[in-house]
Amino acid sequence: MQLVLSWPVRIIVIGLLLFSVLVDGAGYVYRIVNHYPLTGQVPGLPPRYGDWQLYVHRGLDLQGGTILEYRLTGLPPGRSASDVQRQTVDVINKRVNQLGVSEPDIRTEGSDRIVVGLAGISSARAQEVIGRTARLEYTKWVQADKAPAGRETSAGWKPQFTGLTGDMITNANAALDQNGQWAVNVQFNSTGSDLFGKLTTDNVNACPQTDCPQRHLGIWLDLTQDDIDRWEDPARVAQVTKSPDQGGKLLTNPYTIQPILGGQAQITGGFDAQTAKDLATEINSGALPVTLTILQSTDVGATLGADSVKKSLGAGLLGLVIVIIFMVAYYRAPGLLASVALLFYAGLVLALFKAIPVTLTLAGMAGFILSVGMAVDANVLIFERFKEEMRAGRTVAAAVDAGVRRAWPAIRDSNVSTLITSVLLFGFGSGPVKGFALTLIVGVACSLISSIIVTHNLLAIFLTFGGLRQPAVLGVERGRAV
Amino acid sequence: MWNVAELSEGVTVGAAEARPAARTRRFDVISRRNWFFGLSLLIIIPGIVSMAARGFLLGVDFQGGTEFFLNFKNSPSTAQVEAAVAQENVHGTVQAGSNGVFIVRTGVLTPAQQEQVRGDLIKKVGPIDEGNYRAASVGGVVAQETVFYALVALVSASFLILLYLAFRFRRVQGGWRSGFQFAGSALLALLHDVFLLTGVFSILGKVLQLRIGEIDSFFLTAVLTVVGFSVHDTIVVFDRVRENLIVSQRLSFEQVVNLSIMQTAARSIITSFTVVLVLVALLLFGGDTLKGFVLALLIGIVSGTYSSIFNAAPLLVVWRRWQAMR
Repeated sequence: MQLVLSWPVRIIVIGLLLFSVLVDGAGYVYRIVNHYPLTGQVPGLPPRYGDWQLYVHRGLDLQGGTILEYRLTGLPPGRSASDVQRQTVDVINKRVNQLGVSEPDIRTEGSDRIVVGLAGISSARAQEVIGRTARLEYTKWVQADKAPAGRETSAGWKPQFTGLTGDMITNANAALDQNGQWAVNVQFNSTGSDLFGKLTTDNVNACPQTDCPQRHLGIWLDLTQDDIDRWEDPARVAQVTKSPDQGGKLLTNPYTIQPILGGQAQITGGFDAQTAKDLATEINSGALPVTLTILQSTDVGATLGADSVKKSLGAGLLGLVIVIIFMVAYYRAPGLLASVALLFYAGLVLALFKAIPVTLTLAGMAGFILSVGMAVDANVLIFERFKEEMRAGRTVAAAVDAGVRRAWPAIRDSNVSTLITSVLLFGFGSGPVKGFALTLIVGVACSLISSIIVTHNLLAIFLTFGGLRQPAVLGVERGRAV
Repeated sequence: MWNVAELSEGVTVGAAEARPAARTRRFDVISRRNWFFGLSLLIIIPGIVSMAARGFLLGVDFQGGTEFFLNFKNSPSTAQVEAAVAQENVHGTVQAGSNGVFIVRTGVLTPAQQEQVRGDLIKKVGPIDEGNYRAASVGGVVAQETVFYALVALVSASFLILLYLAFRFRRVQGGWRSGFQFAGSALLALLHDVFLLTGVFSILGKVLQLRIGEIDSFFLTAVLTVVGFSVHDTIVVFDRVRENLIVSQRLSFEQVVNLSIMQTAARSIITSFTVVLVLVALLLFGGDTLKGFVLALLIGIVSGTYSSIFNAAPLLVVWRRWQAMR
């Protein structure tokens, strides 16, 4: 046990303490560094360091919102499931962006699932946006005297539906063209090929030599006849011709270089890898590659979770205070030191939750509160052993040492078995169970540090003051000061 | 100084062997073991009967379906809500909580259907507190999976703990065979807690028709936590047995086990007591959503401490005797 009391270990503990204080108090550190007042609203909170933002990430069951789990069915033949799954996530991401939700959580689960978590949105609204099949429309351009110019479109021309829609596209993907530039390849089915061939031929024939508005094909999402009928309104045209992620409907309005008869179109011009991929995704999302079936949904009101947080945290704090009172009353000075270690433990766990970050759910919070109780366990084991060794007539220092050493196998074995269950829970569980398991794993790891290393060190330092080695102070029946 | 220290060490070794035995209150758990086994069975058997005959009150995530948590501002009567739900034609059941809170269970509904039902209920019964609203819908497939993975997690956790403990106790006289005796007894104590807890919840949910006895993901989490906790307590006792077998070679196995129980009982009870303190605080003052979970932990941890002291160690004695007789 000499190792535990060595300086390298102490320095690590002090490092962890500094880490906890800085992370737990990140908001205050930020205020002080930027000369903001310590209370009240301050811009830029929670503090952000690159992509890393320090605050307690609350699960949707605590902050209110919706969680939807989908299963992907009707996968297009000949494409890998994981590829389709990824593409679907991209599409859902695009659609969800329109909702303006902060930090939407969209991830794959298993080989055929997608889980979507959205804060502050009802599941009905979320499903409406995600499950909607955006209609992709191709338009040609016809003359209209009063038509204003829009993004990528010319004054004096308005769009007209051609009957070519997203249903006729089998696939769109980003690729490099023969000149090494990023382009989007679009593939049509046979009906689409015929229509597209005819449209592009007409386009080129309209003005064979030069670029003119008629030689363009507009590609739109959800363009309606109503939009076209009101093409005189400049504000509306400006809005409609914005890109979809800015609330508009125009994806792109490419120029037709030559008639395309084989059903293989290529859109080029000014793309980089990202924008080409984005456009391909958007063309594809007109026709989602799969059918989304809802497996489960959860919808939580905004105050329900907040109420649970308040109550449970209050109860947790109350529990902590009771435990501390009990420990001090029963074990005296060692109990007080163990309580200090317990506060260190709580601070460290919270800092890790913020830094990793662990998303705190209701079950996770219960796990955290419970682990406070468990963190005491190792201390109780050591102190009981310590008392026994004192009764057996050992010196204080020898009893502390023997107490820690002899309690260690039991502490090790019991914590390993808890880790076994929590790792399995993490592996097999879903949603709330996973959150609980993760907090428990973090909790067990931290409790080992706090109960063995911190308490033992505090006790060793405490015992260097000879006057304090009194049986009454140490809470033992019979002891010998050396 | 050195001499004194040495002397005191010498005395200690002798004392550590005899003194705790003399000082700790002598209460013979081992010879009364059948009473303790009986007490356990007294609770477990009705539980098992209830599980077999009545099953469980399953939560929405284990059964599949949709559950609404509605907080009507006008505190309507249960009959009023029931009448409104009946008109929806969604096979709904209504359960009343306190202060206008109602829980409505239906078959699986899509979010759009949920919105419809919610809107209709508001129209027919009265306004709800929008912030205090909750709806959860779980399809049958997911529910089955949840149950399946729960069982897999439970079985594999038990199995791994068995292996780990056998490994840890393999150095006890008798080798791996002894190791498995220790691990097996711990596992039986663990199963005791699992059956007691699920049995009590079956009785609470099905026989007494209490909502707190509902079996859901939270309950599953509680069971697995209890498994970990119960093994904690058992390990502490067995660790002492392992140590005392080396230190006190003059005592019989029964005496060693009994001595170990007495030496560790204070620690087991104190630890459980601190956790129980936290849990009682949570049960009394925590959020409603967690009540069932906390109750499960409370029952499980009390049971876990009991089984470690009064079942696990005596089982070890029984097992050893039985093996010796063969």
